[in-house]
Amino acid sequence: MTLLSKKEAQAITKAALKAKTVDAIAVSITSEMSGYLRFSQNQAAATGETERLEVSVTATTGDRSATVTGAYVDDAGLRALVGRAEALAKLAPKNPENMPPVAAQTYLAVDEEDAKTAKMGAEERFDLTRKLLRVANKARLDAAGMVSHRHRAVAIGNSAGLFAYHPSTSVSLSMTCRTRDGTGSGWAAAMEHQLAAIDAAAVAERAAEKADLSKDPEPVEPGAYTVILEPQAVAELLLFLGWSLDRRSADEGRSAFAKPGGGTQIGEALFHPSITLRSDPSAPDHPSSPFAGDGQALPKTTWIDKGVLKTLSTSRYWAAKSGVAAVPQPRSFILDGTSKTDEELIQGVDEGILVTRFWYNRMLQPQSILATGLTRDGTFQIKGGKISRSIKNLRYNESPLTMLKSVLALGTPKRVAVDGQTVVVPTMVVGGFTFSSLSDAV
Amino acid sequence: MSSSRRSFLVTTGLASAGALLPRSRAWAAPAFREPAADSAPSPASQTEATLAVSRLLADEALAKRAVEVAEKAGATYADARLVLWARERISVRDDHISGVGGGDEYGIGVRVLADGAWGFAATSELNRRSVEALAKKAVAMAQRNGRLRRSPIELAPTPVVTGTWVAPFETDPFKVPLQDKADMLLGAAEAALRVPGISHVSASLMIVREEKLLITSEGSRTHQVFFRTMPGLTASAVDVRQGRFASRDHEVAPMLAGWEHVVGAKLVDEAPRIAQEALQKLHAATVEPGLKTVILAPSNLWLTIHESIGHSTELDRALGMEANFAGTSFIKPETTGELRIGAERVNFFADRTQAGGLATTAWDDEAVAAQRWPIVKDGILVGWQTTRELAGAIGEKASRGCSYADSYGSIAFQRMPNISLQPGTEGYTTEDLINATDDGVLITGRGSWSIDQQRYNFQFGGQTFWEIKNGRLRRPLRDVAYQANTIEFWSSCDMIGGPGTYRLGGSFSDGKGEPGQVNAVSHGCPPARFKANVLNTGGGK
Repeated sequence: MTLLSKKEAQAITKAALKAKTVDAIAVSITSEMSGYLRFSQNQAAATGETERLEVSVTATTGDRSATVTGAYVDDAGLRALVGRAEALAKLAPKNPENMPPVAAQTYLAVDEEDAKTAKMGAEERFDLTRKLLRVANKARLDAAGMVSHRHRAVAIGNSAGLFAYHPSTSVSLSMTCRTRDGTGSGWAAAMEHQLAAIDAAAVAERAAEKADLSKDPEPVEPGAYTVILEPQAVAELLLFLGWSLDRRSADEGRSAFAKPGGGTQIGEALFHPSITLRSDPSAPDHPSSPFAGDGQALPKTTWIDKGVLKTLSTSRYWAAKSGVAAVPQPRSFILDGTSKTDEELIQGVDEGILVTRFWYNRMLQPQSILATGLTRDGTFQIKGGKISRSIKNLRYNESPLTMLKSVLALGTPKRVAVDGQTVVVPTMVVGGFTFSSLSDAV
Repeated sequence: MSSSRRSFLVTTGLASAGALLPRSRAWAAPAFREPAADSAPSPASQTEATLAVSRLLADEALAKRAVEVAEKAGATYADARLVLWARERISVRDDHISGVGGGDEYGIGVRVLADGAWGFAATSELNRRSVEALAKKAVAMAQRNGRLRRSPIELAPTPVVTGTWVAPFETDPFKVPLQDKADMLLGAAEAALRVPGISHVSASLMIVREEKLLITSEGSRTHQVFFRTMPGLTASAVDVRQGRFASRDHEVAPMLAGWEHVVGAKLVDEAPRIAQEALQKLHAATVEPGLKTVILAPSNLWLTIHESIGHSTELDRALGMEANFAGTSFIKPETTGELRIGAERVNFFADRTQAGGLATTAWDDEAVAAQRWPIVKDGILVGWQTTRELAGAIGEKASRGCSYADSYGSIAFQRMPNISLQPGTEGYTTEDLINATDDGVLITGRGSWSIDQQRYNFQFGGQTFWEIKNGRLRRPLRDVAYQANTIEFWSSCDMIGGPGTYRLGGSFSDGKGEPGQVNAVSHGCPPARFKANVLNTGGGK
């Protein structure tokens, strides 16, 4: 199997459209070749490669619609899939919120496909893993992690004349080092669309250094602290906010961005003036898909501008109903920062806690976006502008709203390892961040 | 609200002889899904009828060929899995269908051991040429990885088996007309919306069919089919003036069962009660935090078991093999037989033969027979979840049969069996637990959940919360979560319900591994009483 070309995708779309007997159909094709190498106990654990070609057909007749997914084998199978979707659509009860297929769109020019990354295979995985393990072995640390890569093409076509094709590559590696006495753990990761942007040795050094530094953690009192959140930790909290950026739930009084008494908080200065949150499929070093799952163009969007909430994502149905423009849900989030290094940020903190990443994050209260989770793999006390000691992991009960309101300083934005989205955020220094209990977990 | 239980029961319309019976009925499974002691094999006729028409049989030769080619290329062990998933989902929002979807996923995965290392390759392209290439690729990958091994992977021996099994079901849920499914969900949503004050209702139905045919180089062949069903209903009430809302989920558990489980959940009949409880939650008193006695209903406790006991006794985690993502474990394998995890009354069994259990099977993905074994006995850790690769690490001669891969495209590794808290010998009812409590909170249903990567510190929410004062349910509460440390929590367990209160809960989406895989698993338990830190998660509203 090789990756589906634009031509082949067009041919499949055409064949599906030809088989149509109802009002409208939309086709979504995913072709993917992926590979990974897992390691643990300082040795290879499992390695695998999977190739798949899937077609999803949405058939619509009047207000009735249904989606059926299956593997693409040949055009006869495809016609059968269209037939199943149509049969299901005819049976499906009416959905008054059903929308017609998206018309042809103009997309931002995006290049997310890197030839070297597309060619990755067993040899490249082996070489990267060996680089990672060499560092851990030298440092006498227990290492576990993964190297993974994928080459993917997504194509969307429909009976309203839309066709879109987006090939992309992705490579990621992550590593956890643990001290042999079991008291220290450090993690680091990298994710890019091009292999050349990955520095495996640097990732390994960082994980190893954090493991060593985090040995023999001591307890601190839970409470409100100034925190230095590294980009991974920022992203994990920010994603909760990302899900809340939805107009309908705000209009319906179910979200953090609902105005008491009705309406949304668009136009209000809800955050610290240093906060600008954007989406940009064509971001030079961090490209992402120029279209959404239904083919809608993903434009450059500013969600928060200098602390002011500018817009909320709005489904096509809700947009038509409320007389506003549709705003598709983004595939990328970029939180603007400064050119300050993490070291400079730490130097500016007299007393605080440095967080490498959060774990098992769960929403508690959608209206305040209150969430809980724990620190993990490198939590340190900062005193007088320096890392003073390793501390035990802490559970937080806190909201990303606090994070974006109580900003003390921002660092340099970096891409973090979040699957399915391109997230670029800076290290943040935040005041009054609430930790509620201690954990013995290392 | 009055402190007398009688008036509470009258005002909420729950009065009945058994006081809490209407609630406990909703705590999980309908009666016909209560666990049987032994595995309940399908009638032979049902198995034959289901498997005879299998589309996998046409590709069995390809699976055999893959294993052959892998052996010829140097594999010391190989298995090939043909896996077909069918999924159907229908969802309703308020008065209309918001989505109808379904699909198949089918392909072959080949796993090999060569030079003491694993290799795996998978494709959805099923023909002789692609399958042969796949097998060779998997072996080449394994051989390369052998150079990154410090010690070779060795598999514990297992008997060669040939067998077929279809998980028991009464009605194939894929054969129920879509219109019937939609009518049921729309009817439930309508019944809930009719309750004044309810602003939104969502109802959904997820049905899946998993079929797999496994061929191993040792000569085993197993062919199995599983139906799993998950009905769901959520009612939301909004207080626009105060800018507050509350949602209430039906507590029905997903099950290894057919359409009969969906019928048994009685979504339409239950909808008004779910709606009432959403309103009750909206107007409930906010909880006063502090160290408290909590009584956890099975619909809540199953998830606490999953997170605190289920994940901590996965042997691959304890050995550090999942350190980079899912985490490790607070339990060290060398403490087996000595480590006290809970009070003496606390007993856990792992059981892949449990009727209705989502992880119930006849053989695992390494052709090891399903079994039942103790994990915690009289409060002491005694057992682990293992695969053929892992068994030797704790000196066991055979695998416990916990190998699973979530699709043709995923490699099999250690996944969680059904792990369940055994009922207490005193035969307590839920009422007995409440009556014996002076000051506490009763928590039912699944809310938010979060636990650290070694499974020490957890914090769980719930669906409904009741204040208990002087042995009586006093008033509904909101904004409740409980936080504790695993060993302290299970050590504080001082009452466990009897066999009559035992229910199964479960999830379709137990996550683990890199790349991530999901596993469906159930946990049975009676209600039980503990000490925990009760938090207020109201966020100031």
